[in-house]
Formats: sequence, C-alpha cells, structure tokens
Amino acid sequence: MSKLIVFVHVYGRPGLIEAELSNNATLAELQEVLRAAGAPVDPDMLVFVEADEHHHQGDSHRPIGGLRRGCHIHITRCRRIKTTINFQQHSAEHEFPPGVRVRAVKEWAVHQFKMAPQDAAEHVLQLCGSTERPASDTPLQQLAHGQRCSVCFDLVPEKRVEGCQ
Amino acid sequence: MNPHTPPDRQLLEIDLAAAEFRCGEIEGRWRHVATNWPHVLFAVSAPERPNAPGEFGFRFECSGYRQLAPTAQPWDLQSSRPLPAPHWPTGRSIVASVFRPKWKDGICLYLPCDRVAMEGHEQWRDQHPARLWQPTRGIVCYLEQIYELFNQSDYSGIVGT
Repeated sequence: MSKLIVFVHVYGRPGLIEAELSNNATLAELQEVLRAAGAPVDPDMLVFVEADEHHHQGDSHRPIGGLRRGCHIHITRCRRIKTTINFQQHSAEHEFPPGVRVRAVKEWAVHQFKMAPQDAAEHVLQLCGSTERPASDTPLQQLAHGQRCSVCFDLVPEKRVEGCQ
Repeated sequence: MNPHTPPDRQLLEIDLAAAEFRCGEIEGRWRHVATNWPHVLFAVSAPERPNAPGEFGFRFECSGYRQLAPTAQPWDLQSSRPLPAPHWPTGRSIVASVFRPKWKDGICLYLPCDRVAMEGHEQWRDQHPARLWQPTRGIVCYLEQIYELFNQSDYSGIVGT
C-alpha cells in the first residue's frame, strides 16, 4: 500500500510532526502513528484535513479522506477559531476552521475593510499585544495557544527596512 | 552523522531534516541545493512575474550556526557565481528595500536576520523585531522571510537592464 508524507499539528504541542500514512488512512492509523512518534492524542479530539470546514471524529475505522502528499492534519479541541482583526479604528470578527492559513485570513480582512490592493500589500497581520508576525502559511490553530479557540490580530503597516548606509 | 562534523554544521543538518524545513520543501516554498561548508545553497520559489524566474538562488554562509545568524547572497545557481544586479528581485517598496544590489556590493540582503546586514544597525532591534534572527527557529526563519517577500503583491520581478 502506498504511503503519504503528511504534517500533523497537535493541539497544545509546539511544532510540526512529519508522519507517514497510507492513502486511505483511518483515524486509528493516525492515532497509532502519533503514539509511535511520542505524541499520543485523545481519541475524542477533532481531526481536520487542511482548511476543511468539516472534521473527523469518532469511528476510528473510517478512512479520513482527502489526504495528499504534504497535506496538513490538525488535531484540535476547536471546531472553529474565533478570529478578531483590528485595523485602525475598525474591528472585524469571523470564525474560521482551524486549518485556515494566515494568508486567507488577511485576504478576508482586506475584503472586509475594503482596502485598496496597494494598501493591502503594505500591511501585515501581527498578533495582538506582541511583535510577532506569523508567516502567511501558518495555520490558525498554531496561533491559538492554551485553552483558547481564538486569535487576535492587528493589521499593521509593513515598514521598509531602512538605516544609515 | 560523521563525528568529525563541526557542531554548527551538525545543527544545520538537524534543521534541514526537521519537519518545518521539510514542509517548506514539499510545499515548494524552498529547496536545499547543496552544501559546501560553511556555504549552503538554497533556492526560494517566487510567483510568476514577466521575465522573472520561478525561483531565486541564495548562497548562505553559516559559520557559527545557529547562535550566529547566517548571511545570504543572491546566487546564480547555474553559473555558481553572485547573481548579476539586473537579475536581482525587486518591487515597488518593501522588496526593493531588502534587495539592494549596490549596498556592500550585493554580498548580503538588507534584512535584520542577516548577520552582515545587522552590523551597525542596532536600531533594527526596535524597528523590526519580527525580522530579527531567531536561533530557536534556525534557517527557516530566514528562508521564510525571503519567501514572504516574494509572495506579496509588492514583488514585481527582476531589476532588469
């Protein structure tokens, strides 16, 4: 049976786990692979593939479906990540699936705030109360630390790198 | 791993095998081309722009990795030489502020995560905290910044003649 490389994000555990699964892997196989990798997970956790709206849970013998080489699997307690984006005096809120990436959140915010393309290009998402600017490929789940299922961003201007030359 | 491999190279090899780097390779964001220690060649993919390549090569100098930040120079992977200025990537504002072929004769990128560029730019610690070198993240910290620069609408292609 052919195998696929996948990347797994486990709730409450920093970093990524690279794993090998069969094409039609079941939740049981995923749990076994994670146990072998030293990251056992609660069987009641929700499993999302990439940015899918729908999760897998329960029947451990059903194929997960939708797997492909390099895809991201999110094991989480959050059905949705409540996402707040602040921009100037405005604020917008939306609930995204945990696997949605920062790039898609910014696109949503740009549309929501009716920003011109040039303005959008010169703004980035920064985590509220920090100087951290997650890369656009970062899934939201990775940013929802602790027991929260929420993330807050400020949409801030990207500065040119300048200095005395 | 060879026991005679120096510690800085060992750390880089660990990072090249880590899931964060491998994920970027499999998703086509970057690839490791070759290592001739302390120099390491990478290619970082770029979206389509008129007359511009689908990826840019970089030669990283990684002595002292990870405690010391590396420094990276745009590199012609075919000819094994520094990338000529007309072939450097550019953009309207942010990208052009980082890719400056005339600064220090083009030996590095004008980025706070670059060891050479950081010299004499202590103010960047306050001005660009998100762009500083992070030893805990390693090479992905630098590659990710290059990839992000290419994948914003500010990137317009190459400098040209």
